[in-house]
Amino acid sequence: MTMSTAIPTLRLPLDLADVRALRAGDMVLLEGEIVITAGLPTHLRLIECVEGKRDLPRDLAGAALFHLGSYSRETPQGFEVLYMNPTTSTRFNPLMPRLIRHFGLRAVGGKGGLDRASAEAMRETGCVYFSFVGGGCPLLSDAIREVLSVHWNDLVSHYRLVTLRVAALGPVTIGIDAHGNSLYERLSAAAEARLPAILARLAAERGTPPG
Amino acid sequence: MPITYARMKEATAKLYEWSLRKVPDDTLAALREARERESNEVAKRTLGILLQSATMAETQDRLVCSDSGVPTYFIGLGTRARLEGDIKRAIADGFEELVATTSPPLLKHVTNPLTNERSHRGKDMPLVTWDVIDGADYADITCQPKALGSGRWAALEIFTFPTLEQIERYVMDCVLKAGSQHCPPVMIGIGIGGSFDHCAKLAAKATLRPFGSVNPEPLLAAMEARLLEAVNATGFGPMGTGGDTTALGVHIEYAAGHGFTPVAVSFNCWINRRTRARLYEDGRFERIE
Repeated sequence: MTMSTAIPTLRLPLDLADVRALRAGDMVLLEGEIVITAGLPTHLRLIECVEGKRDLPRDLAGAALFHLGSYSRETPQGFEVLYMNPTTSTRFNPLMPRLIRHFGLRAVGGKGGLDRASAEAMRETGCVYFSFVGGGCPLLSDAIREVLSVHWNDLVSHYRLVTLRVAALGPVTIGIDAHGNSLYERLSAAAEARLPAILARLAAERGTPPG
Repeated sequence: MPITYARMKEATAKLYEWSLRKVPDDTLAALREARERESNEVAKRTLGILLQSATMAETQDRLVCSDSGVPTYFIGLGTRARLEGDIKRAIADGFEELVATTSPPLLKHVTNPLTNERSHRGKDMPLVTWDVIDGADYADITCQPKALGSGRWAALEIFTFPTLEQIERYVMDCVLKAGSQHCPPVMIGIGIGGSFDHCAKLAAKATLRPFGSVNPEPLLAAMEARLLEAVNATGFGPMGTGGDTTALGVHIEYAAGHGFTPVAVSFNCWINRRTRARLYEDGRFERIE
């Protein structure tokens, strides 16, 4: 699409200065190394790693860890990833602040956003949340350049911890920036604030007074 | 030619496979119109990306979404259509064969709710709703794979003799709760009345109606229009990152009931997956959507 030509590309891994320069609402393309999973069991294993109860299969310091599920399978030439797509990040709300702080994650992402506790962890650590389009399978999968590793392949495919090299991944929207600004929080608060006016309008259109 | 095991198996498997690759035409048209109307620049771009993904999936024969959902069917059997063989088993066998042969392979989404183990099979899968169509010489089959992203946000509450205001307020509460998370712009299906189970079905069936269709009851047609406007006034926007388009449509179905009145609200993500076909007595297999 012609409109994507104006969208800047961010190279991963991000350093702190890159991250602090980003603002909620900006749209960017991503290139470099990403780690992806869509599994709650995977997140629980990562917490076990944080607690020293399990070995971390790959270093996650300063990494980009995204809530993207993928179909991977083993071939004689190694693993291939046939497609990937985001899942709802809020499912992992209770676990994300700890993972963000412990690993010093510079980028997280998926769809639907994360809560205030995660946004606080991101502000402290210097981390942003990227919103991927749901149902963006063809577009997002075309960004895969190389499968670098597939860990925990005892799990169903979308739960595995997969490391990919990508180019022109996106466009993605910065949903939460490293300054504590969250589009999700802002939009929810705005919708709540508008609700009385919305209900009044519904009442007017119904022709009955609000109760 | 009766509706046989083989015909039903083939039809239900094909409808599922098609639904994963093709965004329905009415939905594409609604997304394009929404993009024209959008005043928010990020939202306009996001709608453009969704349309691009839909085009790529259709023209390159690829999956729109990695969440291929769980197989869900609505089947109306015509009273003048004859059945032959194990029609129910045909649907389960069709799905089993599909997941074994389709390319690219589908992720394992069928979940045992007691253990959270995931596979391609499970109790009561596929989920089928049966109905009877008086006088018809066909079986009318709709496939609507249901995914987690939007399926998660459906809700039902039972009121006693609610006012329209209470009903509309409940819908708005559900919309605010789902917020940015159900892959908007969504299709919202609302069921009012009947019983607990019937009402949930009505909401699901409401999501199957094409965009642009209006409820024949003037009272509900007006409610559909004002609720759509109300939902879009919330500002969650495409993919929940802000904008004018949170819903593409609000459809309502109702049934008489007792004074306890269930209200059910169901959401379909922007892909609004839906395929439909008819198997006729004369042997035809007609794809409708």
